[in-house]
Amino acid sequence: MAGDPAAPRPLSPTPEQLSAWGLNPAWSRRVSFVGADQLSVDWHILDTGTGTAGTIVCVHGNPSWGYLWRDLLKTLSPKWRVIAVDQTGMGYSQPGPARRLAQRIDDLVAFVTQEVSGLLVLAAHDWGGPVAIGASATLSPVAMILTNTAVGKPEGLRVPPLISLARTFVGFSCRLTPAFVRGTGWMTASSHRAALSAPYRGASRRAAVRDFVADIPLRARDPSMATLEEVANTLDTYEGPVLLLWGGRDLVFHDRFLRDLRDRLPQAQVQRYADAAHLLPLDVEIGVVVEKWLSGVFSPTPTRTWDDAPYRSVLAGLDERQQDDRVIYEGPDGALTWAQLAQRSTTAAQQLHGAGLKKGDRVGLLIPPSPDLLVAAAALWRVGAVPVVADASSGLGPLARLLRAASPRYVIGTKRSVFAARLLRFAPGATFASFRGRHGELTLSAATNSDFPSPQLLASDLAAIVHTSGATGPAKAVRYTHGALAAQRAAVGNLLAMDADAAFTTSFGPFMLLAPLLERRCVRPDFPVDRASDLGFDELAAAVTARGVTTAWLSPASALSVVATAKGRSLPLGLVMLAGAPIAPSLVSAVASITGADVRAPYGMTECLPVTDGSDPTRVGRLGGASTGRTLPGCVLRVEPIAENIEWGEILVAAPWMFDGYDAAWSVDEKSWVEIEGTRFHRTGDVGYLDDAVLFHLGRYAHVIWTDHGPVASVAVEGPLAAALEKRVAAVGLGPRGTQLVSVVIEAPGALRLARSDIRELVRSAAPVRVASILEGRLPLDARHQSKIDRSALSSSAEIFHAGR
Amino acid sequence: MRVLVTGGTSLLGAHVARLLAARGDRVTCFQRRPSNLGLTDVLGDLRDREAVLAAARDHEAVVHIAALVAPRPRYASAYAVNVTGTANVLEAATRCGRLLHVSTPSVAFRNVPTIGAAAQAATYDGNDAYTLTKVLAEKLVLEHSAVPTVVLRPHLIWGPGDTQLVGRILDRARRGHLAIPDGGRAMVDTTYIDDAAEAVVAGLDCCVDAHPALGRPWVVTGGDPRPLGELVEGILRAAGLAPRYKSIPAPLAGVVGRFIGTVWLGAEPPLTYFATRQLSVAHWFDLRETREVLRWTPRVGVEEGLLQLRASLRP
Repeated sequence: MAGDPAAPRPLSPTPEQLSAWGLNPAWSRRVSFVGADQLSVDWHILDTGTGTAGTIVCVHGNPSWGYLWRDLLKTLSPKWRVIAVDQTGMGYSQPGPARRLAQRIDDLVAFVTQEVSGLLVLAAHDWGGPVAIGASATLSPVAMILTNTAVGKPEGLRVPPLISLARTFVGFSCRLTPAFVRGTGWMTASSHRAALSAPYRGASRRAAVRDFVADIPLRARDPSMATLEEVANTLDTYEGPVLLLWGGRDLVFHDRFLRDLRDRLPQAQVQRYADAAHLLPLDVEIGVVVEKWLSGVFSPTPTRTWDDAPYRSVLAGLDERQQDDRVIYEGPDGALTWAQLAQRSTTAAQQLHGAGLKKGDRVGLLIPPSPDLLVAAAALWRVGAVPVVADASSGLGPLARLLRAASPRYVIGTKRSVFAARLLRFAPGATFASFRGRHGELTLSAATNSDFPSPQLLASDLAAIVHTSGATGPAKAVRYTHGALAAQRAAVGNLLAMDADAAFTTSFGPFMLLAPLLERRCVRPDFPVDRASDLGFDELAAAVTARGVTTAWLSPASALSVVATAKGRSLPLGLVMLAGAPIAPSLVSAVASITGADVRAPYGMTECLPVTDGSDPTRVGRLGGASTGRTLPGCVLRVEPIAENIEWGEILVAAPWMFDGYDAAWSVDEKSWVEIEGTRFHRTGDVGYLDDAVLFHLGRYAHVIWTDHGPVASVAVEGPLAAALEKRVAAVGLGPRGTQLVSVVIEAPGALRLARSDIRELVRSAAPVRVASILEGRLPLDARHQSKIDRSALSSSAEIFHAGR
Repeated sequence: MRVLVTGGTSLLGAHVARLLAARGDRVTCFQRRPSNLGLTDVLGDLRDREAVLAAARDHEAVVHIAALVAPRPRYASAYAVNVTGTANVLEAATRCGRLLHVSTPSVAFRNVPTIGAAAQAATYDGNDAYTLTKVLAEKLVLEHSAVPTVVLRPHLIWGPGDTQLVGRILDRARRGHLAIPDGGRAMVDTTYIDDAAEAVVAGLDCCVDAHPALGRPWVVTGGDPRPLGELVEGILRAAGLAPRYKSIPAPLAGVVGRFIGTVWLGAEPPLTYFATRQLSVAHWFDLRETREVLRWTPRVGVEEGLLQLRASLRP
């Protein structure tokens, strides 16, 4: 295909345009070099000029231009020299004859060879990805940053409909009309549209856009298919550090492509932005993330090491009890014996293996706690796959987000959940299955493989992905390794110290999965697991009395509901764990008087559970807060003061059973770790203090009130007030950090209003700090637990209330 | 130090004069009527340049507190006292060597919530005769003073003997028509009189060359903001009255204030738009820098202040 003979002279953007687009006009310049096939090429580039660290060459896709990398240019210069090129014929570069992928790769190699010396990093987006990756074979970059791109169509996937549509009517969609250019602009904020489409005004200037789309290899006979395959091989053998930045709402390069890249690049670090779309470099301020990542690449911090010593595998208990007819799980949906679990999980595992499931593959589990859930998890571990446990109680929307982010290869659910997941496209590109009857048989058509070798699972291998509740922030995916799971099993086992024939019950869905690991029978009470507050006294009593349950692990919402419905009756138990600090001492006492049990309130979180033993939960500490007991053996705990001259601070934990990292959230993960004296600690985001080796919990770091006399922990204010008023209260800050006022809100029906003067006097006399206002009104609670007060929302409401109008 | 205090009959003037005298300064009070403070009084009018200059002769500092405060003064009267008077004081202070000028946060009132506003360079937003002339006065002092000068903006001073805030609230309550916007939910900073007087004395001690307090205004408050309704209740209780008031929606209060302020023929309309807006939106401040620069910190605050008010109202 020849270039359009009527192509106009290249038109550089004017300094006024560049300034209006947030680009430094001095960055814009033209470069001539001899490109592919000895053709003279004239490029327009944005070049920040100098940089001590090295050079980042950024390659855009189609149809965009160097503007795409605006944030990178602004944020990384002058430390780095950042060059955003306009590919041959595209953006403000000189139009010329059509270029195929191989020629584009050669052009980029020629450009970098001529213009760049020293350390090189390549960044690429969209179809710029194959160009940059192809060039990397010659250029040997020290690192690559890839965003919403692909090196081919993953197996079993159709061509993205938008691409095939654009391809079919390529001349019309891409050149004659601005549809393709405009359509791309519509994928991001309106403020970027003018700049994105500026170089593509007029059909003649869109020739390269058309040629680019026409060159996308979709079928084996397409001319650039061989090149693309070569590019994919180059990527598969690339061993340097890679950062994958991904927009989760990309209609073209969706999460299935991300999974393909992750499979090819096991070393890649992934930061996925659920709400960003195709033009991620414009949707998200990636500059700060890239800068941080690059600084880590060149001065790596030690990561966790596993000595891969033998550990007790998640399946060890099951393997020892294959013939055991004792019950391991019972609930309203039936009971399951060890032998049934062993037999059914083997059946399912053989099917999954036959269907091609491999070690390390992720599988979404959309099954409520039931015998099937236990069978599915065990089957996956038999194959070495990684269950992604998404708790249905998070609600449909969050559930879809969690599953989409995990990009599972398979999804196993109930018939209903599979139907919904398919319909709502929870997991694009995944295969769905559910159990057929009660014998562990899955609805998979592939032949079963009854003779597969058990995979060798190392302590460092991924065992499961679970999710934080989302009660205290956006839900996060948490990775657990087999080593950590084994250590957690031991820690929980020691903490519960149950007799071998004793049984436990719980109101936490995912906790029921622990039964085969703990090798203790679990009894599920008859209540909807997604509504913790529906577990009343009667439901708990039914589960406990008839079935020899001695131990209960309850959420605060369930415990409150049990207390509220007890009506003076008692329910003997040996041990009750109340998880979800801070637990009010009044709740502890109420549960103790109903059950006569040893009631404990251990500290822990999805990332590291448990941390303390929860003993003596009504103990009073010198700075207030909730007592969570003593640190468990093997766990290291630190309190890092958050300001000078205070004796409390952020709680840091390190334990063999803590999580491996947040999944697909490199930037969040990176911030959640801190290394002190050779130990890698998890920053919990909670505040507290140690008093005589007992950890007292003072609430969330984000809920600290920063007054002009120093920080005040919300829980330290709330504790004595709740006791004095016998009502739930929340203390929140008003105004800017550093000069905040303390406002106390007492739970009452209705909108926020000033509290009566007698209540105000009571609050002021009981409060340990100066309180500016005392309000009454409804407390916003988290949707999931109905127990955690959303203090951020409450703080805004109180501030708006007191702002007047 | 010999100090001339203007406005010795005002609440703040009297307290400052006493405080200065108590620490050993030789204080002269300048105002139209005798102050009865037991200190040297020079009677005269601020608008009379010769009288001001004569009163300040042989003094080393001037504390300028006097101003024409009324809900709706005639512009000419306000200008004569607040601007011409301040110009006279400025001239006198230039001969003395230092000046402390008391302004008001109303000069920067923007009719939007002020939430924890930090100390900052002067901004102005006057809109009635009082605030417009106080703006001119403050600018005059800040821009033209040739001697070390500190400008303070004490916010809503109250305490025993206060005829402005406390007096009006009690008067309305006794007549049965005390109403405040939205039940008094706006968070407001106030300044107990003793805290304000101590801030003025501290400010006077900052009137030395190159002091960081010079050249910009400082908002002074008790550092203890409360919802307006709580303050009003506290004041009513202190006076032995039932802690009751009517609540009117803030937007309605603004409309009513604008109407009354427009049609009222007398000099003192019971309500103006400006006054209702000041009671409808939050205004509280970040005192950290002020405390540090003035080396002063409020001691009394709201609770203790109300106890003292109660003692004065119900002996």
